[in-house]
Amino acid sequence: MPDWRTLWMLAAVFGPLSLFSIGGGASLLAEIEHQSVAVHHWTTHRDFADLFALSRAAPGPGTMLSTLIGWRVAGWTGALVATIALYLPSSLLIFAVSRLWRRWRGSRWHSAIEDGLAPIAAGLMLAGGLAVLQAAGGAAVWLAAAAATAILLRWRQLNPLILFGAFGALFGLAAAF
Amino acid sequence: MADSAGPPTAKARISLAALFAAFFRLGLTSFGGGTAAWLYRAVVQRRGWLDNGTYLAAAGLSRLLPGSSGVNLTVLTGQRLRGGRGAIVAVVGLLSGPFVVVVGLAAGFARIAGSAVAHAVLDGIAGAAIGLTLATGLALVPRGRTQIPPLLVTITTVVAVGVLRWPMLPVVLVLAPISIGWALGQRPQRGS
Repeated sequence: MPDWRTLWMLAAVFGPLSLFSIGGGASLLAEIEHQSVAVHHWTTHRDFADLFALSRAAPGPGTMLSTLIGWRVAGWTGALVATIALYLPSSLLIFAVSRLWRRWRGSRWHSAIEDGLAPIAAGLMLAGGLAVLQAAGGAAVWLAAAAATAILLRWRQLNPLILFGAFGALFGLAAAF
Repeated sequence: MADSAGPPTAKARISLAALFAAFFRLGLTSFGGGTAAWLYRAVVQRRGWLDNGTYLAAAGLSRLLPGSSGVNLTVLTGQRLRGGRGAIVAVVGLLSGPFVVVVGLAAGFARIAGSAVAHAVLDGIAGAAIGLTLATGLALVPRGRTQIPPLLVTITTVVAVGVLRWPMLPVVLVLAPISIGWALGQRPQRGS
């Protein structure tokens, strides 16, 4: 018997966020961390950091993080509810807007919305990085890996996955010996 | 919702099964959020289901509206090719593979969660993933003398959401109209 209250809470948290993810899922990171750890106590800081890493190691578009939090809280049903809650509202919106859009193309508003939201998206992305670092307790090793990756990516067009693998292996080896 | 304004790219009607298969594969092969680029290869270059112009217009809209741009673009592509049912089939195809993989990974990890090495590997991945997020965010930070107001918007967002940990929704609801209003003022009447 599924726990309806928990499922409802998952939908109530991720549903509205769906319509506020500006410039992609990374903009939601800080809010998802806040809701899962501080507000609803769905995960501990440590748990959240693990789920974040797993969601980034898996294929797929953007955030499967909500899926994992749903799964942690309420199993497969929770995973399904959280995933649908995060993707359905935004999908319905774009479905509805797409026809209107073609009439609107090239208008001043169109570019202004794009330009106006861009700095907020950048800010949310940076805030998300900070939030996950805080979840990790600001561990120095994380900071080092994050800084090294950020610098490497700005310097070279590398496939981020290679860096994920490299740092995962590096940290794993360091812990093993 | 078939659209008569769309170019007749589809020589034959694309079956829902083919649509599902294409997006299922896309979901499992696109890593690191680069879905839009993979979708271009799969749908425009390889299969010729959409032409360049249609793709670009859809890609612009999918970035502008809230939500994962990859999922948004998938909705638009499915809608273009087979209407409402096409949109549903394409999105379910895109997400079902990653859904099973990511939960499978987490379930597998839960079994070895006591292991210090497993945690360390995840720490390495998480650290690098944060680096990627920060690098992307930094690349998007407004620059230049004319960009001081947008830069202030970015800094306000970082401080409010990332440092003070205020809830994101009200912060965005306050900042978005200000920022869009400023951008609108920057554009001449007969814009771009």
